[in-house]
Amino acid sequence: MLSLSVDSVYVHKVWNESELSKMVPGGVPFPMLSDPGGKIGREYNVYNEDTAVDLRGTFIIDPDGVIQGYQVLTSVVGRSTDEIIRLIHAFQIVRESKEKEFTPADWKPGMMVLKPAVELVGRVWEMWKPDRSRE
Amino acid sequence: MEVRTMIKAGKPAPDFSAPAYYQGRFTHVELSRYREQWVVLYFYGGDYTFV
Repeated sequence: MLSLSVDSVYVHKVWNESELSKMVPGGVPFPMLSDPGGKIGREYNVYNEDTAVDLRGTFIIDPDGVIQGYQVLTSVVGRSTDEIIRLIHAFQIVRESKEKEFTPADWKPGMMVLKPAVELVGRVWEMWKPDRSRE
Repeated sequence: MEVRTMIKAGKPAPDFSAPAYYQGRFTHVELSRYREQWVVLYFYGGDYTFV
């Protein structure tokens, strides 16, 4: 986990000490990166030129350095940490299976995965139902 | 003209290095040093906001 904003490392330090450490004992456990002028934000297309800050961009990068997924939100709505963790679990399972197993919509850890095969075409309905995945 | 990297799912993440604050110290982070690990990049608007 690497967090990024246009703030300096000095502001990161004071924010961590004065506020974040009151929410997380010992302060945040990951590096807080400084992105002055939104240089990295521009690279990742999450920099808002009008407000001169980065948008709420989340990128999941695999051990080969490949972006497996991303989400970008405006500044008004916060993200779901549970969803980020769910996605990482799912990508890890697929990677460990060497892409022989895929995870369907609303999959959560512990649920069945799909093994893509010719026989599966047209028969996903037998294994996956919208209501079941919401249990 | 500014050349922009294409951000796409399934494509390599652009590398970068940045100054960082990490557990009481000032340090430097390079994305490429995190190979062999899963990484979440978490951009947000600013310190002292809700993220």
